Amino acid sequence: MLSRTAANLYWIGRYMERAEFTSRLVEATIRLNALGDHAEADQSWRSALSVVGADQAFDATGESVGSLNARRHLTLSEANPSSIRSCLSQARDSARAARTALTVELWEAINRAWLTIRDRTSPGGAQATLNLVDSVKAEIRGFEGGLGRMLRSEGCWFLHLGSVIERGDSIARLLDVKYYLLLPPGQEVGGKLDRDQWMTLLQIVSARTAYRHLYGGALQPWLVADFLILRSEMPRSLIASAEETVALLSSFAARSGRQGQADRLARARLDRMQDLDIEAVVQEGLHEWLHAYLRENAAIDQAIAQQFRFG
Amino acid sequence: MRLHVHHSTTYSYAEPARRVIQLLRVTPSSFVGQSVFDWRIDVDCDAKLRERRDGYGNVIHMLYVDSPTPSLSITIAGRVLTEDRAGVVQGLPHELPPAVFARATELTAAGRAIAPFAADLARPGRPALDRLHALAQRLHDDLRFDTEATAVETTAEQACAAGHGVCQDYAHIFIAACREAGMPARYVSGQLFRRDGAHIQEAAHAWAEAWVEDLGWVAFDPLNGISTDDAYIRVACGLDYRDAAPIVGARSGGGSEELTVQVRVSELAGQAQAQSQS
Repeated sequence: MLSRTAANLYWIGRYMERAEFTSRLVEATIRLNALGDHAEADQSWRSALSVVGADQAFDATGESVGSLNARRHLTLSEANPSSIRSCLSQARDSARAARTALTVELWEAINRAWLTIRDRTSPGGAQATLNLVDSVKAEIRGFEGGLGRMLRSEGCWFLHLGSVIERGDSIARLLDVKYYLLLPPGQEVGGKLDRDQWMTLLQIVSARTAYRHLYGGALQPWLVADFLILRSEMPRSLIASAEETVALLSSFAARSGRQGQADRLARARLDRMQDLDIEAVVQEGLHEWLHAYLRENAAIDQAIAQQFRFG
Repeated sequence: MRLHVHHSTTYSYAEPARRVIQLLRVTPSSFVGQSVFDWRIDVDCDAKLRERRDGYGNVIHMLYVDSPTPSLSITIAGRVLTEDRAGVVQGLPHELPPAVFARATELTAAGRAIAPFAADLARPGRPALDRLHALAQRLHDDLRFDTEATAVETTAEQACAAGHGVCQDYAHIFIAACREAGMPARYVSGQLFRRDGAHIQEAAHAWAEAWVEDLGWVAFDPLNGISTDDAYIRVACGLDYRDAAPIVGARSGGGSEELTVQVRVSELAGQAQAQSQS
């Protein structure tokens, strides 16, 4: 496989995952705001923007952080590289460039996802935005389904690798923002808003019921952190991403007989995470730990690009 | 090198064993120069298998068979990618400080026969790495490989005095000499791919690692007189054979037992061509 094709596949994986994550983030924020009053709404849109690293780009537009502006920025803005439209557009461009390496099903899923958002000029009201992200999510599930039917070889692994790296990145940022930015001043920890926000966070990663199933009882912040970081049965947890990264890189190594820096970094990360418990993480400082994780994830991304000569 | 390992151990009991408990140190870890793709342990009767890690960082499994069984067969199969790194072992998960491996054990106590080897090793002048290579080469030249002459309880000193032994004795003598000379050293059990074509073997392999300042652990196979290369799959380590033996166990009932071990390590082939087509 040409390394250019490999790079395109990897980035399709990353962009589709990012589009899905942003969709869920928008959906969850709308639902969270439906529970609270107006003043809190601006605050939660601000944190949603900072989760995807779009807060500065948003400030540059000079718009006020109202619900409509923030929703437009996250879903349709072309100025925001992580808006749903930008992600799907870039995924589709990569897919066109690597068309021969994709199955018909995958190509159609990516294209359909793009078509749902291409002609939209406004996100509309809250309900219209919910409908929009719902259909985007459905198309992306179609993409994931298509991925499951693809021939298990390099092409499929690159797509998967892109999405697990992206997933680790977004979940770590989501947790970090919840712990350090989300709660507005004057709101008590453990209060109603705090609880609603935790619930929203679980909803973003589609794990509300799963959390209840595993832990039962009331929401506890450290248990949510444990759930999203260290529980490998949770498919979107950081450790599950770390495991999948190692397994995918091993598949490449098994096929080619070569391994490199990315394999070593990914294995070292997994080894370290397997020995961890949540108390140790909290003691070290969750914020610091998550930042170290983000740096490590970025280093693995770099090592993958180098190892497979993405150029 | 992509290696395929198939290691089967079969116990046949004269009468059905009531209960069997075994400790398996048969699962390799990945580190720089060795990637484990998949690894699996199959047991031919209903059994409980619990995984954990021991103090040396080895992955171990406890195997419990609670119902009477006339025989027990444990099969280990897996695929590993190895690289030749001239014996240097880096990036192992769960490393202990090297000083842990500086003390002698019952099996690796140095006596009169090992003293000259240790004295040579301790003589300053040449770099430590060269002296270790010389030791491995000398053991390879001086000792005679003999599968009949020694047993699992033979000590390094006994084997050295007798001048023959199996891979385990070579490793013990090497370790005893290192420790006597003040260098930490440890026992390693693993699998060896035989380049001479003898892919089916009657036993797994063992060698030793010595701690070299500035370089870390370096593995030597005194039986073959070389540092380990990409034909070696490192599985477990410990102070001596007792800490790193692949399978140890106990059972109640069953009378006398008969043990058959078959190890097959072969090179995975054919996939390189498949790749060039994709």
